[in-house]
Amino acid sequence: MSSDTEKPSTSAEASGSGSNSAGPGEDDDKTAAYECNICLDTAHDAVVSMCGHLFCWPCLHQWLETRPHRQLCPVCKAGIGKDKVIPIYGRGNPNPQDPREKLPPRPQGQRPEPETTGGFPGFGFGDAGFQFSFGIGAFPFGIFTSSFNMSDNRPGPPPPGSAQHTEEQFLSRIFLWVAIIFIFWLIVA
Amino acid sequence: MTNIAQARIKREFKEVVKSDEVAACNITLELVDDKYNELIGKIAGPPDTPYAEGTFCLEIRIPETYPFNPPIVKFLTKIWHPNISSVTGAICLDILKDQWAAAMTLRTVLLSLQALLAAAEPDDPQDAVVAQQYKENYSIFEKTAKHWTAVYAGGPKSCPELDSKITSLKNMGFDENQARAALSSKGWDIERATEYLIN
Repeated sequence: MSSDTEKPSTSAEASGSGSNSAGPGEDDDKTAAYECNICLDTAHDAVVSMCGHLFCWPCLHQWLETRPHRQLCPVCKAGIGKDKVIPIYGRGNPNPQDPREKLPPRPQGQRPEPETTGGFPGFGFGDAGFQFSFGIGAFPFGIFTSSFNMSDNRPGPPPPGSAQHTEEQFLSRIFLWVAIIFIFWLIVA
Repeated sequence: MTNIAQARIKREFKEVVKSDEVAACNITLELVDDKYNELIGKIAGPPDTPYAEGTFCLEIRIPETYPFNPPIVKFLTKIWHPNISSVTGAICLDILKDQWAAAMTLRTVLLSLQALLAAAEPDDPQDAVVAQQYKENYSIFEKTAKHWTAVYAGGPKSCPELDSKITSLKNMGFDENQARAALSSKGWDIERATEYLIN
């Protein structure tokens, strides 16, 4: 086994020194096979397309960004895309990482926080505030449930005079007016 | 200019200078200055076409976004061709517009232009007058294109009859280039060309 592994290594050395002595012209030809098709330099963060064409990932990414609606291979115009290229990991790189994940950084998913409007802090805690959203969905009957509090299963209204009570009164009036405007609009239209 | 554009033009310039086409005198590329954003290309007229033996100069400007966007190319040498403006030298070629691909190079652009000279597309014209002549009266088109090649691109002298028509208009006090353009677009009819020049 040891002799087997030695043999290729010595032959590789021999060919390596051979190319060194052969001069820069031959070296150029060898590295030219690994040139990026866009920057024409030796590909770094290399990826290869399904049609077999080699690119630097930053170069290809910029090409895809330039024409977002026409994603074609720059060499043969075959279909191409971010998910249709394969990253290449050589032996020289100590910690290989998918080039598509580092440069440029992949766009993050966005999850904006729900907007909290002032004077509506009780929402989502299962208290009486929940009735308002129900009231909108079951319009116009919801108005009565929220205005007159006809449901029995829900927790009772907060005691009159508390801060929550005034807020609820305020909001139910707003929704009542919205409903009136909506009905008016329906009649006019 | 961004680094990638400049670095690429440097490489392409070397590639063209070393290529076989240069050895065969088909295409050449020269730098205008050392900034690598403006070049002058030259292509030989393809044999067996009205452009044979002519040499056509092209202005090549490299945008900052090269190679993601195509170079801006136009003919400096006046030429009579359906897809090239006889007035401005503007070119109608898909790869210089929406069909550009980042792997194309100045060498492939020059070779494509040479191919365009050999195979005109009169149905997708840049110069409507030339395209109409190409479709309706090919022999006059061919004669005119040869004449323009001889006068502007150093091609062989073709038809003395056309030269004498231009001389007669020149004697009437018109500019030679204007007289040639008018005669060319009016099918070498002196009367119609004179009328056109006066109006």
